[in-house]
Amino acid sequence: MTDPDHDLEQALRALRPRPPGPAVAARIDAELAVPAARRGVVIAWSAGFAAAAAALAAFVFLAEPVEPAAPAYQLVRADRSRPEVQLFRPVELADGSYARPVRVRWEDTTRWEDARTQTHLIDYRPNDRLTLLPLETH
Amino acid sequence: MHDAHSAQDWRAWFAENGARLRLIARQWTRSEADADDVVQEAFVRFWKHQRHLPGNPNALVVTSIRRSALDLLRRSDRRASREKIVGDDMDTVGWFEPEADPRLAALAESLKLLPAEQREVVVLKVWGDLTFDEIGEQLSISPNTAASRWRYAMEALRRNITARTHD
Repeated sequence: MTDPDHDLEQALRALRPRPPGPAVAARIDAELAVPAARRGVVIAWSAGFAAAAAALAAFVFLAEPVEPAAPAYQLVRADRSRPEVQLFRPVELADGSYARPVRVRWEDTTRWEDARTQTHLIDYRPNDRLTLLPLETH
Repeated sequence: MHDAHSAQDWRAWFAENGARLRLIARQWTRSEADADDVVQEAFVRFWKHQRHLPGNPNALVVTSIRRSALDLLRRSDRRASREKIVGDDMDTVGWFEPEADPRLAALAESLKLLPAEQREVVVLKVWGDLTFDEIGEQLSISPNTAASRWRYAMEALRRNITARTHD
């Protein structure tokens, strides 16, 4: 015996919602293409916390990019994007202290070129690091 | 559906999921244009800041859509009260592609006639791929209440399409 609700749910799933218009995709494309420098990274919790987040971002940004070996190609360029910092609500740790999770994301792009065949090898690596910044409570 | 956690190309993910995201937005907005605006804002926020977060990406993107839709409704309410404008094309434009099957066409029309609280449960379960637990969290109701609304909605839809297909 068939479940009438199941049949009705299957019929609902057969309906095809109208897709967004092409203008929506174009507007999303424009927004996602905005350079990282213009993204609204808000670091305004406190002077001490902002300094800690900046130090973490600087550590990531200034560290040497990893350059994978590629013997058939000649390295022509290695880039690291500006890191994007995301702050979360403070969490309580197992020992009763508090910490604020901070996520830093950046991308490494390394490009090699073979002059003879005019071919390129591009290594793109998104990176994601989550760190806990200890908070002092009074 | 491809997992948004690992997807790199937003275009491919959006091409696969854009229609259902728009339907989810549409049932919380007053017009087609508002639904497009909500999808744009919610998707950009989800893709830039939320898709890597742990948890069900479906629930994350639905949360983002609901937040944008509620923000837009609040702004629209303030504007409407100032300008005395009522713009609601809820009944003039279809939410779905036209269906040749009369039963499916009746079902699409019947969905819009459901009470909003039942309709949003149906939309979140079928097109949001959420469980009753997740729907309860989205709507701040218990999972049992979400399941009850689903059952009432199924009964109403069944009654409605039976009546329409016998007309």
